[in-house]
Amino acid sequence: MTELDPVIHAQARLRVVASLSALPDRDQVTFPRLQELLGMSAGNLSVHLRRLEEAGYVAVTKTHRGRTPTTLIALTSRGRLAFEEYTEAIRALLAPAHTKETP
Amino acid sequence: MTADDDLPPENPAAALRLIDEQRATAARQFEPDPRAYYWPWGLAWLIGFGLHFLYFSPGDVPLVEMPSWLPLTTLFVLLAAAGAVSAVAGARAYGQVAGESAQRGAWYGWSWGLGFLTLFVLAGRLSDSLPPDLVGLLWSALAVGLTGILHMAGGAVWLDRTLFLLGVWITVVNLLGTIAGPGWHALVVAVAGGGGMLLAGLLGWLRRRGRQ
Repeated sequence: MTELDPVIHAQARLRVVASLSALPDRDQVTFPRLQELLGMSAGNLSVHLRRLEEAGYVAVTKTHRGRTPTTLIALTSRGRLAFEEYTEAIRALLAPAHTKETP
Repeated sequence: MTADDDLPPENPAAALRLIDEQRATAARQFEPDPRAYYWPWGLAWLIGFGLHFLYFSPGDVPLVEMPSWLPLTTLFVLLAAAGAVSAVAGARAYGQVAGESAQRGAWYGWSWGLGFLTLFVLAGRLSDSLPPDLVGLLWSALAVGLTGILHMAGGAVWLDRTLFLLGVWITVVNLLGTIAGPGWHALVVAVAGGGGMLLAGLLGWLRRRGRQ
């Protein structure tokens, strides 16, 4: 059986990574917007983002928009690759079941 | 951190479902609703240019009597409303996103602004020396033509086929209307141009629903 990436193979982080993968390449989303999209608490999201950042899957940039400090979040290319590999692995696990259903 | 959301998905099927749902939700939020983007403009053209055709009709007599200020006022009010609706929809989708998309959007916005500034200055300079029916045609043919070209450019920037084809359609409709002359131009822009925008919004919306 394929080893599933433990960093992504957790419901909350999978949702974070899947959402970020929907952003176009080289785009970043603000922390509050991502939080709203996911419906997670700020503390909870921070914890998961830190874990993803440690794995090198997510880049967190602190910057300013005018005078307001802003945190911008994006998937790194490594994170995008890890997500694609995870999705492939999941599909591979499902494939035998599918071929049984459809003759 | 709550304990349960750190758990893995129950099984591969649940994981795949979660991925698909989350990606669809995010994509929907990161893109404005095509209806909010196209329909207000389509309605503004349909009604605004429609009234123009009915009042400033081909020939000398209006097809429908109405106060002379009504067609232009209606058009400007509806265009302003359409601008407001698509600005809100755009801000909702793009406001909290930074990076290349924001850069493209900002530069594209500048193209519209400077394009229409050029148009106003040019048409304003020419208006005094033309008969009234040609003044109307000059303004609307330039504005519709610029809109068509900028839609095509937008299609090229975002590789958006609907947007590009709509630009081609508007450009062709505008050329045909301009050749047909004052009055007729308003009719084809209202029906074919406005109708094209309504159709583009419908197609974009159906495609977006199909992705879910």
